[in-house]
Amino acid sequence: MIKAEPRTILNFLNTYFDVVRDLFEYQQQDGLITKEVFDMICHKHGAQMKSRLREYRVVRSIGSDFEMRDVYFKLMEFLLFEFKPLLPETIEKYKGAISELFMKIRKSEHSDRDILQERIKNLSGQVREFVDLVERNAFRLLSETRDLKSNIDRVQYREKVHKASFWIEYYILPLNRILDVNHSESVTSKLVEVCEYANRKRLDYSDETTRSEYEKLYTQLIQTNQDLLKQSKILTNELLPLLERIRTESLILTGFIEFLRNPYKVETPPLLKGTRTMVYAKDMYFKVREFFEQFQIEAPVIVENSEADFDRWIFDRTLFKEKLNASMPVNDFFGWCFKALKKDFDQIETDKFFAVTGLLFDEELQIDYSKKSERVSIETTTSVLDVPKLKIEPAIKL
Amino acid sequence: MVYPSHHRQIVEELMSGKFLLNNEEHFNSLKENESFYTEFFKISFDLELIMKPEFSYLLSKDTQENFSRDVSIFIAILSYELDRDGRNFIESFDFNEFTFEEIDNYFMNSSFIDLIESNKTLRDNESRRTLLNGMARRNIIFKTFEDRFTFTQAYKVFIDFAKELALKRIKGEPETQNAE
Repeated sequence: MIKAEPRTILNFLNTYFDVVRDLFEYQQQDGLITKEVFDMICHKHGAQMKSRLREYRVVRSIGSDFEMRDVYFKLMEFLLFEFKPLLPETIEKYKGAISELFMKIRKSEHSDRDILQERIKNLSGQVREFVDLVERNAFRLLSETRDLKSNIDRVQYREKVHKASFWIEYYILPLNRILDVNHSESVTSKLVEVCEYANRKRLDYSDETTRSEYEKLYTQLIQTNQDLLKQSKILTNELLPLLERIRTESLILTGFIEFLRNPYKVETPPLLKGTRTMVYAKDMYFKVREFFEQFQIEAPVIVENSEADFDRWIFDRTLFKEKLNASMPVNDFFGWCFKALKKDFDQIETDKFFAVTGLLFDEELQIDYSKKSERVSIETTTSVLDVPKLKIEPAIKL
Repeated sequence: MVYPSHHRQIVEELMSGKFLLNNEEHFNSLKENESFYTEFFKISFDLELIMKPEFSYLLSKDTQENFSRDVSIFIAILSYELDRDGRNFIESFDFNEFTFEEIDNYFMNSSFIDLIESNKTLRDNESRRTLLNGMARRNIIFKTFEDRFTFTQAYKVFIDFAKELALKRIKGEPETQNAE
């Protein structure tokens, strides 16, 4: 029994992960951790380290040496993704266990309910372990065969073929036999058989809780068969044609295989970084601040009262009409307009002048044009206007 | 001052992250005025102009570019799968037309499926379409039809990257790693 709290152990693993990893690596390499190695690893962390490793049951003594306990070893394998390839014989043992349990389940169909349910649960556990091992082995084999293809150590072709043949003969072909659903002796075909049986029983078994156990087993096996099919496809597509595949070698492919080992830890070719500003861009905060700050600057607005007189002159048509009538006949209409304005203003603006000339359109006036095409020059503040000399008389009423 | 012909097009396309290809008219103008443009981009925007015989592009100091990583993974997996299929992947990049369906088949049956499914720009057909459209916008691929494309010579940037990485690993040289 471990006295320490589970969280204390996890904290220890977190704090001293490097120590546990070193122990794992030695164990993986040599099969055990010699006393010298154990002392060396623990030395720099003080005397307490050894006692904690024992207390948390990370290691156990084998004579004077040590070995990492299986649960920690598997955890480290999983965390570091460093699985040791297992010989298929090790995996094949599950066929025996699964077949045995399946046979007993069928035989004890009408016997004790509790033992039946326990066997179903155990079968489910065996299937879980089997799939896990197959996946880990396939992953490891893929990794090993990619190493061969990548050939980073630049080994000779003859040696590559030797290695490939070894993997094929002892690992890949036997694993393929285990996974070959068309082979009556394969574990996969046995699982298909169990799946069919579980499918029937989940529907027609008399006891409800047992039906529920069959239901869980059936669901698990459906997923398992899909996963195994995926692994089988990898074997067929990639591992079995290994000899053919290592025949060609390319430096580029070596680079790509190395890159794909961990594509997030390799610097990829630099390209132009997009200039579009996203709301989460690094400089977005400054850009937004700059945008809003432009509205915070309140420039002083100064309103100056103009001292200059504002000319509000409005043309009084009636008044000017009366003046024009009083002056009739007028020989030079435009000259008269100018003079009439000149009586009131020193400077005559063009618009004032044009306002007065509007009297010309009065229907009560008769306009005569000079036969000599005489013209008059009128000078306003902004322009010099060249206008014809027009004679104005009252119109004759019929 | 008189600017080289197609100046605006050259600047606009390079600044939008496009690769200029040697079969385009304005590439010749860029090539003829290489020293001017090298200086122009360096002084104006602090960007480096890369001139290759077949293409040209700009790169910035800030290399935290996800697009480059996604394209590198895409081309790496495709190269691996083409080789597994018994095809010469360089020849395929140079001369073959690919269909989206063919790409989907390679990716869905790849042994790198875990990596593919964990990458949001590669994980399904739709995501891959988006990535390919981005590659088309940058002239890395050329879309011959809505669902077909060929690679342009710009793919060689990623091939050179693979070669360099392989040589480094063979020599056992340490690599600079991205801070994740």
